[in-house]
Amino acid sequence: MKVTRRDLLGWSAGAAAGLLFTPVPWKLLDDTSIWTQNWRWIPQPTRGPVEVKQSFCTLCPNGCGVRVRMAAGWPVGVAGVASDPISRGALCPLGFAAQQLNWHPQRVHTVRHRGNSTSWEEARVAFAKACGEGKIAIVDGQPGRAASVAMKTFVEKRDGSYRVALAPEAQALAPYGAWSGLGAIGLGYDLENAQTVVSFGAPLLDGWGAPGRFTRLWAERAAGMADPQLRLIQVEAPLSGTAVSRTAARAWQWVPIRAGSEGALAAGLARVLLDEHLVRARGPMPTMTAGEAADQTGLSGGAILDLARTMVARPPVVAIANDGNPAIAALNVVLGAVGTRGGIVRRSKLAESYASADAVIGASYGTARAVLIDSTVPWDFVPQTDAEVFRFAAWDGGAGQADWLLPAPGFLEELTDVPTAPASAIETYAVAPSLVNAPAEVQSAAQFLGSIDPAAIAVEKIIHQRCDDLFRGRAGTVYGKEATAVAKIASAKEFEEQLWKGAVWVGVPPRSGDLRCELKEWPASGSSGRSGNASNANWSSAWLAPVLPPLASKLCQESNLREAPVGRKA
Amino acid sequence: MASTAMVDSRWIARGEARTSLPQFLLWLAPWAIMLALGIYAGGRCLYYGLNQTHLDNRFAFGLWIFLDLGVIALGAGAFFTGFLVYILKRAELRPILNSAVVLGFICYSGAVAVLMVDVGQPLRAWFTFWHPNTHSMLTEVSFCITCYLLVLCLEYIPILLRNRQLRKLPSFLVFEHQLHKVVPVLAGVGTLLSFFHQGSLGGLYGVLRGRPFAFREGFFIWPSTFFLFILSAIAAGPSFLMLVTALVEKITGRRLVPGEVLQRLGFISGVLLGVYVAAKSIDTLIWLNFTSPAVGFAPWQYYSYQPFGLPILLVEIVLFGLLPAFLLTYRRTAARRGWLLSAAALACAGVLLNRFVMTVQTLALPTLAFDEFLSYTPSWQEVASFGGVVAYGVIVYSLSYRYLPLYAPPKGENSHVSGN
Amino acid sequence: MNARYGMVIDLDRCTGCGACMMACAAENNVPPIPQASTRTGVTPMLVRQVSNGMEGGARREVFIPILCMHCEHETPCVHVCPQQAVEVDQATGIVMQMPQRCLGCRYCMTACPYHARYFNWWDPAWPAGMEKSLNPGVAVRMRGVVEKCNMCHGRLHSAKEKAAAAGKREIDFADYVPACVEACPTAAIRFGNLADENDPAARETHSPDAFRLLARIGTEPKVYYKSKEAWVKELAESKSGRGPEVKHG
Repeated sequence: MKVTRRDLLGWSAGAAAGLLFTPVPWKLLDDTSIWTQNWRWIPQPTRGPVEVKQSFCTLCPNGCGVRVRMAAGWPVGVAGVASDPISRGALCPLGFAAQQLNWHPQRVHTVRHRGNSTSWEEARVAFAKACGEGKIAIVDGQPGRAASVAMKTFVEKRDGSYRVALAPEAQALAPYGAWSGLGAIGLGYDLENAQTVVSFGAPLLDGWGAPGRFTRLWAERAAGMADPQLRLIQVEAPLSGTAVSRTAARAWQWVPIRAGSEGALAAGLARVLLDEHLVRARGPMPTMTAGEAADQTGLSGGAILDLARTMVARPPVVAIANDGNPAIAALNVVLGAVGTRGGIVRRSKLAESYASADAVIGASYGTARAVLIDSTVPWDFVPQTDAEVFRFAAWDGGAGQADWLLPAPGFLEELTDVPTAPASAIETYAVAPSLVNAPAEVQSAAQFLGSIDPAAIAVEKIIHQRCDDLFRGRAGTVYGKEATAVAKIASAKEFEEQLWKGAVWVGVPPRSGDLRCELKEWPASGSSGRSGNASNANWSSAWLAPVLPPLASKLCQESNLREAPVGRKA
Repeated sequence: MASTAMVDSRWIARGEARTSLPQFLLWLAPWAIMLALGIYAGGRCLYYGLNQTHLDNRFAFGLWIFLDLGVIALGAGAFFTGFLVYILKRAELRPILNSAVVLGFICYSGAVAVLMVDVGQPLRAWFTFWHPNTHSMLTEVSFCITCYLLVLCLEYIPILLRNRQLRKLPSFLVFEHQLHKVVPVLAGVGTLLSFFHQGSLGGLYGVLRGRPFAFREGFFIWPSTFFLFILSAIAAGPSFLMLVTALVEKITGRRLVPGEVLQRLGFISGVLLGVYVAAKSIDTLIWLNFTSPAVGFAPWQYYSYQPFGLPILLVEIVLFGLLPAFLLTYRRTAARRGWLLSAAALACAGVLLNRFVMTVQTLALPTLAFDEFLSYTPSWQEVASFGGVVAYGVIVYSLSYRYLPLYAPPKGENSHVSGN
Repeated sequence: MNARYGMVIDLDRCTGCGACMMACAAENNVPPIPQASTRTGVTPMLVRQVSNGMEGGARREVFIPILCMHCEHETPCVHVCPQQAVEVDQATGIVMQMPQRCLGCRYCMTACPYHARYFNWWDPAWPAGMEKSLNPGVAVRMRGVVEKCNMCHGRLHSAKEKAAAAGKREIDFADYVPACVEACPTAAIRFGNLADENDPAARETHSPDAFRLLARIGTEPKVYYKSKEAWVKELAESKSGRGPEVKHG
């Protein structure tokens, strides 16, 4: 039988029609709904047992408590801890995506020497050699930790120098430290009792200190009120054109001045306060007149007088600088805000034992043969030195900054402790257990030094010792699920256990008069140290890492809320 | 004639003169390239995703939706001519009927093709049929356009089957004959479906409570734009048909339909356009004075962003509405081909402008107090796809004109003329 | 009894820090697409910055978090979706978007006056290994579908599971806190059941300082805003014409 074209056509048409009566096309059609939901290139979350653990964020010195949801052992969600007296449940925006950081493409995975991959062994050999050949300098970005003690001990044994890179909040306290002879660490702002706060460019509502501290105070005492209990006066230059910083936009009063004239305004205000007898102090008298201050700041003389009157109208008043500008510190002396309630206070005497050396940033390292920079030092800290630089970092902020780039633990990857936050008025202490196993090739500076010096005490041991010391001091309160006085806790073991579970030890409030600054004359002008950034660019002024979590970079691109930060790799 | 010239002469109806094959291919070549480019652009969008376009979260609809609305409005000539010929028995329009069907087929199939690229998940297109939302105008549009496209296919098939070679197959001849009996029913169904989807396309915008620029009061569940879109479509459809016919006559150099047919189309178009302008004016006044202010949007807000000022509204209603309505119905101008065709072009421009305003201007305008007036420029992929649809139309129409009796009188009148 | 979950956002307290935006994006597994912009990014919570247009010391700015308003009356997006990929959940009042059913026609995006809906213009992708940090409580969406705030429905689901495991019929309200509410450092976002008269958020909606955006359009949004500043309240309706949006970069 011959098969003709007509037959073929007929059969094909018949088959096509017949197929419609089978489930095949309908099932395939229905399957498209499943395929389109499950393309294999769509990433899926991890499946696994979910648990919630607690620790503390170590991405800046403020140490906010974090409650981390873990799935199959990986952090999948970060939230604040409501019972944490430091953070009061708040986190900075970056904290909410911190779980992404350990996977950031700029994560440092291998030891690198001048761009070439090498090993820890090589680094150890090189460092040990340097120790033998000359002096070592170590720079620590978060002094007061157990790891800091380890580093300090190592260096002092070898007659080297231990230096500290302070967060901007702490830097602003440096002048009082110098004038009182006590050092910046151990001082804080008693904002909880202040009624008027004059910020000279410090982004108090936008990344200054732990977000749960001042923003919460402001929200409860000032937000939306015509006559607030907490008056926030923001002295700051406009950003560009008409744009203002977030803090200036929400402050009770914004005083627009020319950029860089903060010191002049402080001097002018002090002059007016003293001349008009608006304060009890009699000095130090600035050399600048109010008129000169008006010229430099762009404000009128009348405006400066008004501001001075406003400042003292609702005491206690305190001025907060955004860097180590001594003029603003001197203004506080004139205002009588040093060592008094609502002003600059000294935390309890216990701070002395944790106090580190003065901060000296960017100074020459003299005869240092090698400089070791801890991973807690901000990335924009670049030492001007010929010494061999060993840089610990979890994330790489740019090539060529150091001779050795050493992979450090990332977010929640190492056990550490949380000393008092830089600007806090009360001494606190917490233990931050690691929640994630660190990758094999990662090592902290303290561990590294421990591998060179067998006599070094492990960080865990130091933490244990500290908990013991705190318990024996019988002072303060432990804030866990409830607040318990230390005096009522039965044993050191129980005390330490609570801290390991996420509780925070809080010391006793400072006493007035514990801090005295003798200032004979008005300090020479000029700011010192690393300036914090008052622009809208920073999410947190104390953020250490050179990178942002990818979600933060995304939000810089996709909203008008924030620009990508200058010099920070997204 | 050289022996190679009419290689495909057996496919061309006896007695019909057509240009040589190489010349025809030369005519098709640029359109084929444009179509290829369009397919490539569309393919890129399907493969890489809609980030290939310049559409964004604020301009979710753009050039393609404007294209869809525009071609469907212009393609209304298909159903309306069918309605006039088979339901209202206007036999003088018969000569243009086949061409109208082919145009309709092109417009609707092109619109559906672009729609398949415009959605984010084309494989889920059938969800609308399985989980229809009775409140949604878009469900209505999807159903009716799909059904109507089927109707158009069924109306196109008889024309296809009248091809000289295809007629030779007895089963096709029988099939075509049977189909021909059903055509009046198809015309009726087509009219009903078209009424609803042309209206629903208007309803798409009229129900947008969240866009006071587009939102209108209405009758029962249908906003006024439902009716305005129908009116403007049936007014512009015949004009478009007229323009295409004149264009084909110009290109082929032959008089394909009697001049009265075009004039009749023009007159119908003009009258409907006049009614439309009246309705639209009343609707606009109600909207500006009552509907929009009632939800807190003062009319001046809409027209304070250049170049989308008040002139656009006036151009749409007067220059592209009232003027061509007059020119098409006034005997003196309608009798002159130049005036007639210019007026038809204005009418078509009017309906396109209206679709543009409803799609693009609606999305450009702010709603929240702190919104900005936005703009959007289509990407090359969008423009190329648009061009691809136009090229597709030209190619299908050219092939239909060459191989099918598009302008010959249909079977019912002279059954023995075109045959064998 | 059916709940009507809503919010009252205190604009006097919002400092524009963006913590709510971050927490929302992290909770909902929003991918960080490098090529996305302000008009193509997915930001189910988006804080907008508006000024009073003045300069110098008289300049004031306000930060307005915009999210899906969970409209109650003739919900625009629900009405227009051709395949019912979005519906109002009667039990909670949450307007539920189902990306798995979405065709990607984007009609709902044209319908929403608050621009609270976002299209996935790209396939989701994270840097290598970062998928391990994704929240298992929320499905990752494919490209070509629309998404928006679901009032952290995944967290409601967890709260229900917890209650069910304890043998209870009603959830413990403290277990259901949307990510943005939890994240806000100034507690500016108050979340609650507007159907419960004793709920603090419900009571706040009756405050003379409370208002809703574009209330005159009549969609009955369940997200209220609150401010004591008159110029901020004027931003509620479109007619004000004041307050240009502040842009950076």
